[in-house]
Amino acid sequence: PRPSHFSPGDEDFQENHERQKHKGKRRNGDRPKNKRENQRRKRSSNSEPETSEESEDEEEVNNDGEVRPELLSPEELEKLKEAVDEKKKLIQSLRGKPWPMKQKLVTLRESQLFVEKYEGALGKGKGRKLYAYKVMMTKKWKKFQRDFENFKTACIPWEMKIKEIESHFGSSVASYFIFLRWMYGINMILFGLTFGLVMVPEALMGRPYGSIPRKTVPRAEEAGAMDFAVLWDFGGYAQYSVLFYGYYNNQRAIGWFKFRMPLSYFLVGVGTVAYSYMVVIRTMARNANESGVGDDNSFNFSWKMFTSWDYLIGNPETADNKFASITTSFKEAILEEQESRKDDNIHLTRFLRVLANFLVLCCLAGSGYLIYFVVRRSQKFALDGLENHTWWERNEVNMVMSLLGMFCPMLFDVISALENYHPRVALQWQLGRIFALFLGNLYTFIIALMDAINLKRKEEKVVKYNITMWEASLYNGTGSENSTAPPVTIHPADVPRGPCWETMVGQEFVRLIISDTMTTYITLLIGDFLRAVLVRFLNHCWCWDLEAGFPSYSEFDVSGNVLGLIFNQGMIWMGAFYAPCLPALNLLRLHVSMYLQCWAVMCCNVPQERVFKASGSNNFYMAMLLVILFLSTLPAIYTIVTIPPSFDCGPFSGKNRMFDVIQETLESDFPAWFSKVFSYASNPGLVLPFILLMVLAIYYLQSTSKSYREANVELKNKLQMVTQRLDNFVFLTSYGSDFILNA
Amino acid sequence: MTLLIKCMYLPFSFYSRMVSPAIALAFVPLLLTLIIKYRYYFVLFYRAVLVRIWKDCVTGLSREERAFQYVLTNSTPGDPDSILDAFDYWCSKVEFISNIGPKKGKILDRLLLEQSPLTVLELGAHCGYSTVRIARALPLGARLYSIEMDQGNAAIAEKIIRLAGFDDDTVELIVNPSDEVIPRLRSDYNLERLDFVFMDHWKKCYLPDLQLLEEYGLLGKGSMIVADNMLFPGAPKFLRYLRKCGLYEWKIHRAMLEYSRGIRDGMAELIYQGIK
Repeated sequence: PRPSHFSPGDEDFQENHERQKHKGKRRNGDRPKNKRENQRRKRSSNSEPETSEESEDEEEVNNDGEVRPELLSPEELEKLKEAVDEKKKLIQSLRGKPWPMKQKLVTLRESQLFVEKYEGALGKGKGRKLYAYKVMMTKKWKKFQRDFENFKTACIPWEMKIKEIESHFGSSVASYFIFLRWMYGINMILFGLTFGLVMVPEALMGRPYGSIPRKTVPRAEEAGAMDFAVLWDFGGYAQYSVLFYGYYNNQRAIGWFKFRMPLSYFLVGVGTVAYSYMVVIRTMARNANESGVGDDNSFNFSWKMFTSWDYLIGNPETADNKFASITTSFKEAILEEQESRKDDNIHLTRFLRVLANFLVLCCLAGSGYLIYFVVRRSQKFALDGLENHTWWERNEVNMVMSLLGMFCPMLFDVISALENYHPRVALQWQLGRIFALFLGNLYTFIIALMDAINLKRKEEKVVKYNITMWEASLYNGTGSENSTAPPVTIHPADVPRGPCWETMVGQEFVRLIISDTMTTYITLLIGDFLRAVLVRFLNHCWCWDLEAGFPSYSEFDVSGNVLGLIFNQGMIWMGAFYAPCLPALNLLRLHVSMYLQCWAVMCCNVPQERVFKASGSNNFYMAMLLVILFLSTLPAIYTIVTIPPSFDCGPFSGKNRMFDVIQETLESDFPAWFSKVFSYASNPGLVLPFILLMVLAIYYLQSTSKSYREANVELKNKLQMVTQRLDNFVFLTSYGSDFILNA
Repeated sequence: MTLLIKCMYLPFSFYSRMVSPAIALAFVPLLLTLIIKYRYYFVLFYRAVLVRIWKDCVTGLSREERAFQYVLTNSTPGDPDSILDAFDYWCSKVEFISNIGPKKGKILDRLLLEQSPLTVLELGAHCGYSTVRIARALPLGARLYSIEMDQGNAAIAEKIIRLAGFDDDTVELIVNPSDEVIPRLRSDYNLERLDFVFMDHWKKCYLPDLQLLEEYGLLGKGSMIVADNMLFPGAPKFLRYLRKCGLYEWKIHRAMLEYSRGIRDGMAELIYQGIK
């Protein structure tokens, strides 16, 4: 979705925009116009005494065309007004006229001058000054709006970079970067929410580090808490900070203005999901409006002929490629047309397609089993104690997931050569398969996490028991005073701690994201940059042409990158509740990705050989994003609703369920009638009919949209019939007479 | 490329510690992909290198001699078409020799028919396949000069050309390296202008020979030069020179490599424009 620079129908804007770009001056028409207004006003005020002397009915026109409206009769005033209105209408409709550009510009300028000259003069008598003032203010306001639009466009980040990439590589590669930028915007908002409403309040107004047990590194871990290896794994000091769930205190209100921390944490978690849904669906709706034109099944070749060219290409090599790809697409379309009439060997094609799907399913099953196996192994390692195992074994799960995510799509691509689909259909199948692969991997990972969570919860019971024993021993040790037992001062680092499954979940997600990022960057550097360096510098002394032959420069894989981005965002949505640092991390990652990938594309990639339009796929990517959003918020919501929070860490510790915080807020912070209203509103008797009503509304809207679509198709058919009849009529009248005469 | 780094790591780790079989299994899709994607190159390698070495050891004849034996027994003397067909059959079914092949040969025939040259130079006759192909499509009175560096190949090419029925008026075979012959073409062979040049010798000699032809003024305006194997194995310096110098109108005809499917190749067609 490209930002629209121009408000449609605003003729002056285009001219002025261009003038501003090229000359950098203000609108030239503005100054003289104001001068003329002032002149007119001065002269009109001066002319008042004069006109009483000269009582002429006709208009007195000065050397620079000044009109004295008091001299005009009402009919002439009326005619002048009509003329001005006509000129205004002409200016509005000038764009649609089939005139050459020069004529349009000349007419525009004439009409503008006319309107300027006579518009201010149309107001009568005293009201004329007010009218002129109003006109001037509207003009100033319009000018301000245009300048503001320009400023807004200049503020869009990375616009020139993306334009440059578009001119070299075409619109499909640029659409990836536009998507990246849009994601960056979303993550910026998410970051704002989590940072401003969760991390900063706790850091500024909550208890400082070291004051309570949950905020302190335990004595056992203190020795290695500052090591780089530990910090890179997000243990040590990184774990006991605002970055993770476990640091937050469950105090109901913190700071001097009683900031409700747990409530804010919960609402920010819900708010991020709600905001994401809203934004994605709004963008989908907007895209649905834009597309839908032009993908007709009729007039296939005419559409290709007249609409294939990409006018934003600014680079000769890309233009050559685009030319070649249009030629190829014509050849393909002709072949397809021929084949669709031939229709032989459909059994072979079907068999091959079934075989290809079977092979893909085998590959997916294999990868799913491999991840399950690896996850089981890592659980075994965790039981043994992680210190006994090498780095490879500890990070096995992440490595295997990243490697499979990199290699299996290539295999799918190669298998899809069996299927013999049209490239766009093949691309969609490919994307669907990669989607299934990533989803399978992600859910296997989540199931493994669930096992780990259950383990930790079992541990909790044991630890609770141990803590009671420890406390009892502490009090027994100090003395036998019961009621006024002096508070035993123990350093928070020495207090035995309960396990914190939420922090563990957050850590796992952060580690996964980091390893995914590292894999992407390393693949980029080695697969693109190193390859380009080798091809360029080894080509002098190699037996075959490296640029044309085997490695050659890599092409930018749009669909793979977009999918990677979508899944990355899914992981953020999943883990943001347990690790508030995730949006910040993602923001940093997207920022770096933008610069790195822009540089890599311009430096190491060549334009694709098959260039096809990206606009059809935009909604496809949005639909996938929506599905991922749904699927990734599902586990988070499940854990929030069913699993009780840890007793010893986080803002919800001590509660039975995390959403109890809402109940608590309603009872204590709102007046009594509010909670009564809420309890009525959340009554199932009210909620169920409401849901039923929404379902019925959706069904109604769906059926009306279907009927509109059918009406559209019928109108198209009618239009075709009418044009055909017209053609026949024209043919008959022009040639039919010949037939009749000669016959 | 990650595979390379991993391969360097694996031997170390096998000595020091057990590498997880899972990570190794994760590379299986990559291997499968590489094998499937480059299967035609593997097949080509097998046919052009392995089978050749094997047959060399077994029969003791060189590849060209084996080809000649086959063509001699399976074609009609005096009929260029049957000789070419016999060659094609042998190259696609029995062993692999890099002649121009039937598909690219058709492009060559078409270009010859359009150009109708009277003086043709061929660099690199090898077995004589392309010589016979060109001679077949020549107009009456035209003459083909074929240059071949290797003595053995030249002997076989001579036999094949005479078997096809082309006498000394039509085809003359010169046995010398091309960079020695081209300077002497004007003096020894009285050639003023070459209408058509076909290059199919060593790829690294394309550019020097082209520059020699230009230098000795053997090209006139409208002379056509056809260079084979532009994409596989490829002649990068030649292509770079073409793009820069601006003396030629050039285009690349895309086709498949001879006698194999799936490997792309191209022939460059250059038309000399003359110095402006």
